[in-house]
Amino acid sequence: MQTDAVQTTGEKTARGEILLHVLVGALVTAAVLAICLFAPTEKTMGDAQRIVYIHVSVAWLGLLGFIVMAVCGVLYLLRRNLAWDQWSQAAAELGWLCCGLTLVTGSLWARAAWDTWWTWDPRLTTSFILWMLYCGYLLMRAGIDDAHQRARVGAVLAIVGMLDVPLVAVAARWFRGMHPAAPTMDPTMRAVLLSSVVGFTALFAVLLVRRRAQLRLEHMLDALQRRIDLNQLEL
Amino acid sequence: MAAKLWWMIHKDLISECRARLVWPAMLLLGVVVAVVFSVQMDLLPEEKPRMIGGLLWLAIFFAGMMAIDRSFAAEREQGCWEALRLYPVPPTAVYLAKLAVNVIALAALQCVLIPLFVALSDVPLLAYPWAMLLVAFLGNLGIASVGTLLSALTGGIRQNGNLLVLLVLPMVIPVVLAAAEATRLIALGDFGPAWWRWTELLGAFAVVFITAGTILFDFAIEE
Repeated sequence: MQTDAVQTTGEKTARGEILLHVLVGALVTAAVLAICLFAPTEKTMGDAQRIVYIHVSVAWLGLLGFIVMAVCGVLYLLRRNLAWDQWSQAAAELGWLCCGLTLVTGSLWARAAWDTWWTWDPRLTTSFILWMLYCGYLLMRAGIDDAHQRARVGAVLAIVGMLDVPLVAVAARWFRGMHPAAPTMDPTMRAVLLSSVVGFTALFAVLLVRRRAQLRLEHMLDALQRRIDLNQLEL
Repeated sequence: MAAKLWWMIHKDLISECRARLVWPAMLLLGVVVAVVFSVQMDLLPEEKPRMIGGLLWLAIFFAGMMAIDRSFAAEREQGCWEALRLYPVPPTAVYLAKLAVNVIALAALQCVLIPLFVALSDVPLLAYPWAMLLVAFLGNLGIASVGTLLSALTGGIRQNGNLLVLLVLPMVIPVVLAAAEATRLIALGDFGPAWWRWTELLGAFAVVFITAGTILFDFAIEE
C-alpha cells in the first residue's frame, strides 16, 4: 500500500518535471522566434542588432550566477550544510558559461557596431574580470578533495569576489566608456528583450536545479562508495 | 593585544632577515621586470608619463606576489601552523599581523622600484613625494589585503602553484588601474578631481577588503 503511494508520488513528480521542462522549452523557443521574426530590424546595424537580445540575457545570468554563488556561500558558512555548496557549484558552472557567452556575443556586437572584435569598454571589461573570477573559483575547487574544505574555500572566495565586482565596475567605468547606456528602445524591441530575459532565466533556473540534483547524487554516491570501501577493509 | 600583534610582525621580519628566503628574490624580480619594461618603453619623452603608471604597478604586483604567496609558507612548511593557530589572539590579529608584514614587504619593493623607474625613464614621479607616498601606501594596502586573505585560503591546497596569482590578479584590477592612473597624474603634475577620485577608490578598496579580511580570515584558516 505504502509502496503504491510512494510510486504515485514519484510518478506525479516526474510528470510535474516533464511539464516544467516543456514549459521552459516553449518559453525559450518563443523568445528565439520573437528575436528572429517579431523584433523589428534596427536602422543602422540591421540584423546584427538582434545579438543584443541574447547578449543582455546572458550578461544578466552571468551576474545572477555570481550572486547565487555568493549568497549560497554565506549560507554554507552559517549552516555548514553541503547542499548550499552544491547550489554554489551549480551556479558557478552555469554563470561561467553565461559569462563566456556574454564575452562572445559582446565581441560579435562590437565587431558589428564599432568595427572591432574587442574594446576595453567598462562593461566588457567587467564581464571579462567576472569570467576570470569564475575560472579561478572553479580551478580552486578542482584542487581540493575534501568536500567541506572545498565548500569553505569556495564560499570565502565567492564572497570576496562578490565584493570585488562593484569596485571593478566603477574602476572600468571611470577608466573609459563607450557602451550604449540604457538606449531608448522601440516598445516591440523592449517586449522581445523582456521575453528573451524571462525565457533564458527560466532555462537557467531549470539547469541550476538539474545540475544541483546531479551534484547531490554524486555526493551520495561518493558517501556510499566510501562506506563500501570501509566495510571491505573491516572484512 | 598591540604587543602580541607586534611580536607576530617582529617574528616574521626577524626570520626573513635571518634566512633571506623571499625578499631578495622579490627585489631582484622587481628590478628585472623594471629593466625589461624600460627597454620595451622606447617612447618619446612626452609619451612616457602616460605609460609609467601601468608598468610600475604591474612590476610591483608581479614581484610583490612572491612575498604574498609565501605569507604562511614558513608556518606550513616548518610545522608551526598549529602553533600559530593556538597563539592566544583572535584570528583577526593573525590576519592583521600578516597584512602588516606584506605591506612592509611591498613598501621595501617600492623603495627600490619607484626610484629605479624614475632613473630609467626620466619621469618625475618623486617631484610630489607626499602624493606618491599616499598612492603607494593605499595601493599596498589594497594588494596586500586581498593577497593575504587568499594566500591563507590557498595555503592548504595541493597543486596551488601559480593559483594565487590567477585568483588575486582579477580581484586587484581596480587597485592596479586606480594606482596606475593616480601615478600617471602625479607624473603630469595634475592633482585635479580625477586624481582625488582614483585615490579615493584606492582608499575604498583597502577599507572594504581589510574589513572583509578581518571577518573572513577565521573561515579561511579553519581546518
